[in-house]
Amino acid sequence: MAGKKANNQCRSLRTRLYTAMNKHIGSQANWARNHIANCPRCQRRLASAGKVHLTLSFIKAQPHGLDLLMRANEQAVSVLKHSLRREPEAQALKEKMPKPLEKYRKYGFSIGNLAACMAILFLMKVGVFSSMDSVHNQGRKVFEQYYVRNIGQDLADEVF
Amino acid sequence: MLGKAVSYGSLWDFAVPESVAESQRWVLSAMHRHGQALVKMLWRILGNEQDVCDAYQDTFLQLAHYKGGRKPAHVKAYVFRTANNVAISMLRRRMAERRRLSRPTAEKNLTPSPVKELDAKYLQEALRMYITQLPEHLRNVLTLRDLAEMSYSRIGRILGISPGTARVYRCKAIQLLAVWMNREE
Repeated sequence: MAGKKANNQCRSLRTRLYTAMNKHIGSQANWARNHIANCPRCQRRLASAGKVHLTLSFIKAQPHGLDLLMRANEQAVSVLKHSLRREPEAQALKEKMPKPLEKYRKYGFSIGNLAACMAILFLMKVGVFSSMDSVHNQGRKVFEQYYVRNIGQDLADEVF
Repeated sequence: MLGKAVSYGSLWDFAVPESVAESQRWVLSAMHRHGQALVKMLWRILGNEQDVCDAYQDTFLQLAHYKGGRKPAHVKAYVFRTANNVAISMLRRRMAERRRLSRPTAEKNLTPSPVKELDAKYLQEALRMYITQLPEHLRNVLTLRDLAEMSYSRIGRILGISPGTARVYRCKAIQLLAVWMNREE
């Protein structure tokens, strides 16, 4: 317990140190920003590093076929020894589909809750708007009746 | 007598595959455990599904034949390093082949147009080509960090270096790639 507490203290100290250092000597520091704004060479360097990061994110964003893991497993298992190919685990590998990342599994409950809230909001919105419509129609009918009573059917028809 | 020999023979036939399956079942376990991450990394390095399947097959074939079928001390490290090397070799072959085929028209495409510069596919191909030209120690860190999305401590364990060194190597790799991509302009 004490070890855990000390570990947390270390972590918070490290984070604070890192933030303070970044603030004063990192690329986000004011003097660095001012320099980059006026230095074409640094601008060029920063732009080309940005280009590399952008391209890496392009590569990461490109999806592959859902059955790629299954096909890769099937091809790899087909060159293993006969005895291994007959194993039930090998059969399971041939039908394996990619799973969502383990690290996002803990957010599953929160995401479910959020989706439920969104659905309720959507339903409420639909309900509110349909009620508004009915109020609008009712009001219009009341006014129509009023005009019919006071100025006559012909003139009321012209108005509405 | 003959009947006995036949029965011993069939017993032996049963016994050998059993022991082989038992001794190399860890290959299937490794495939089960690391397959998904490996496919993801290979896909990002190669960008071609058939090449991914070939590299994946090659990796596990090498794993199964490692020192006559023995299990490596660190299976994950072995698998990822082998897959990385196999994929880079394939990528190099592909680049060389493409260069060979497009040599007559190469003179026309020396300077990329601004439209081409912004083309995501063109950028990806250019970056892949430069990744193959990186020194091995920098390339390994870059692919494990940026394409396999591993933490520095895990990369350190796989490559046998400290997390700090991995961080420095990755930074150097990005700097080199940036210079090369800038030079292209």
